[in-house]
Amino acid sequence: MNDGTAPNPCGALSVELEQTLPMPLQGALRCEAGELLALVGPSGAGKTSLMRVLSGLMRPQRGRVVVGDEVWCDTTQGIFVPPQQRHVGLVFQNYALMPHLDALGNVSLSLLHLPRTERLTQARHWLNHVGLTEELHTRRPAALSGGQQQRVAVARALAREPKLLLLDEPFSAVDQMNRQGLYRLLADLLRELAIPIVLVTHDLNEASMLADRLVVMDAGQVLQQGSPENIHNAPRNARVADLVGIRNRFEGVWLGPADVAGQGLLRWVGAGETGTAAPVLTVRDKGKVPPGQAVHWIIPSDAIFLVEARGQGSPTDFEAAVNEARHLGDITLVTLTLPAVPGARLVLTVSGARRQGLAAGARLGVRLDSSRVHVMPLLPLKAAVHDDSATMRVCALQTPHSK
Amino acid sequence: MDWQALILSLELAAVTLLVLLPGGLWLGRWLAYTHVAGKSWIEAIVVLPLVLPPTVLGYYLLVSMGAASPIGAWVQQSFGIQLTFTFLGLVVASVVFNIPFLVQPVQRAFEAIPRQLSEAAAVSGLSAWQTFWRVELPLAWPGVLSACVLTFVHTLGEFGVVLMVGGSIPGETKTIAISIYDRVQSFDLTGANQMALLLLVFSLLAVGASFFASARLTVRR
Repeated sequence: MNDGTAPNPCGALSVELEQTLPMPLQGALRCEAGELLALVGPSGAGKTSLMRVLSGLMRPQRGRVVVGDEVWCDTTQGIFVPPQQRHVGLVFQNYALMPHLDALGNVSLSLLHLPRTERLTQARHWLNHVGLTEELHTRRPAALSGGQQQRVAVARALAREPKLLLLDEPFSAVDQMNRQGLYRLLADLLRELAIPIVLVTHDLNEASMLADRLVVMDAGQVLQQGSPENIHNAPRNARVADLVGIRNRFEGVWLGPADVAGQGLLRWVGAGETGTAAPVLTVRDKGKVPPGQAVHWIIPSDAIFLVEARGQGSPTDFEAAVNEARHLGDITLVTLTLPAVPGARLVLTVSGARRQGLAAGARLGVRLDSSRVHVMPLLPLKAAVHDDSATMRVCALQTPHSK
Repeated sequence: MDWQALILSLELAAVTLLVLLPGGLWLGRWLAYTHVAGKSWIEAIVVLPLVLPPTVLGYYLLVSMGAASPIGAWVQQSFGIQLTFTFLGLVVASVVFNIPFLVQPVQRAFEAIPRQLSEAAAVSGLSAWQTFWRVELPLAWPGVLSACVLTFVHTLGEFGVVLMVGGSIPGETKTIAISIYDRVQSFDLTGANQMALLLLVFSLLAVGASFFASARLTVRR
C-alpha cells in the first residue's frame, strides 16, 4: 500500500491508513513543512482518532506515518515509535493541563531532559513566546482563563520542539475575542516553525481562513483533500459539498456536450419534476459524465448575482422571489425561490446598498455565473461513505491542490 | 492502661501499612485502568475481607497458616517460623484483612484522574514511571492518604481476626482491642473505659485529620 517509501524532504508529514477496527479509519494525506492542514468533518468522522494515530496514542491496524525522514509507524515492517519518542506537539481539545502544576510546571514537563534551572528558563521563554505575562506563570490552570490555558497548552507543545504540531479543536472553548488573538498566534507560529501543522476543527470558516490545505473526513474516511478554495469550488461529491457547508446544491440531468467545445448542457431539475420543462444551463464540460446521467451540481454563492429585472431571453437569468431575508449585522442572508424550478432554493449573502428592500415576498431577478457551476456524480448521500475504499483513496490522492 | 498492648497495636498498624502500601498502590492503580476480562471478580475478591465476618476470615487464615496446612508447614520448614499465635502471623492476617481498606480508595483516586492527562504526559515525553511520580501520584495523593489513615486506624481496632489467628499472648499478639475485651471479661471496667476512650479519640482525630488534609490537598480543576 505504499509508494512513499522515499523519505519526505524538509519534514513533511505523510500518512496512509487502512483500518476497520476498532473504528474505521481510511485514507491518505500529506502536509508539507510550514503548511497548515485543517481536518474537517462531523462528530465521529475520525478526526480525533487520526490525531491519536499521528501522536502515537493509538496504534493503527494497518498504516504508515512518516515525518521527514523518520518513520513513526509502519505496520508492514512492524515499526511503531511510542509517543515519548515522537516529538509531537499536541494541543488537546480541553488542553489537558496538569491541574496540580502551575503554568511553568506544565511547560517544564516537556523539558524534563534538561537540568532544573535550564528547564525553568526554557519554560519561561516559551510562555513569554505565546504571550502569557510573567505574573500568570505561577498560576495553576484553574486560576487562568480559557484563552490563557490554551496558551499554556501551546507553550507546552512548543517546548517539546515538535517535528509535527497537532491542534485538536483548539478554539472551541475560547470566546470570539480571544480567538482573534489566538489566530494571530497560530499565523506567527506557522511562519516561524517550518513544520507541518494539523488542525482539527468543525468550524469551516476557521478552516478556510487558516488552512493551506483542507482534508474532509466522514465516517472514518478521507473523502477529499485540497486547497479550501478548490474544495469549495469543486467538491468531489454531494456529501463533501454538504460537509463543507455549500448551501447551493441542486439536482440535475447531464444532457451531454454543447455546441461550443468544452461546454456541456445541464438540465436543472426541481422537486417532483420529470424534467422536460426545466431550464437548461450551459456549463463547463470535463467529459466525465455520460449523457442522461442524473447529477448533483453546485454553484458558489459568490457566483449568484441579484439583478433588477430578468435579462431578456438570457438563459442564465431567472425570476426569483425572496422567501426569507435575515439581517445579520452588516450582511443579509437571503433565501430565494425560483418559479422556473420548483423546490429549488438559492441562498446568498448580500451586503451594502443592495440589501435595501430585501424582504420576504419581494420579486427580483437573479443571474447565475454558469462558468462557476460544478457538476458531481449523483451519489445517494448516505451511500457516499460506503464507497469502495481503494477507489476513494486513490481519488482523494489525485485531487489537485493549489500548491 | 495496658501500654504494652497499645504499643503492640501501633507497631502492628505501622508494619501492616508498610507491607500493604506498595502492592496496594499497584493493585488499586491497575484496577483503575485495566479492562481485563473478569475485572469484576477480581474486585469482588478484593472487597471480600470487608463483607466476611472477621471470625470467618480469621478461621480460614488460622487453618491455612497452621503447621498442619501446606503453607504453614512450608514456612515452618523453610524459615523456621511459626505463623499462628505470633506477631508475624498477625501481620499476615492484618494485611489480608486490610486489602479492601487500602485498595478501594486508591482505585477510586486513580479512576478520578482524566485519562487525557496521562496521554498528555506521554506526548510530552514522560515515561510511565515519570508519569506516575509527576502526574498520577500527586493527583491521587489525597485518596492515597485517606486510604493509609483508614488502614492504620482499622488495624488498631481489629479484633476478630487477631483473636482467631493470634490469641492473646502479652507482648506478642495481645493488641489493645483484645486487652479491652480481657478487661471487660474480668470486670475491670475502669481499665476498659480508659483504653476504649483512647482508641475512640485517636481514631476520630486520625480520620478527621485525614479528611481535612484531603480537602486541602485536592487540586481544584
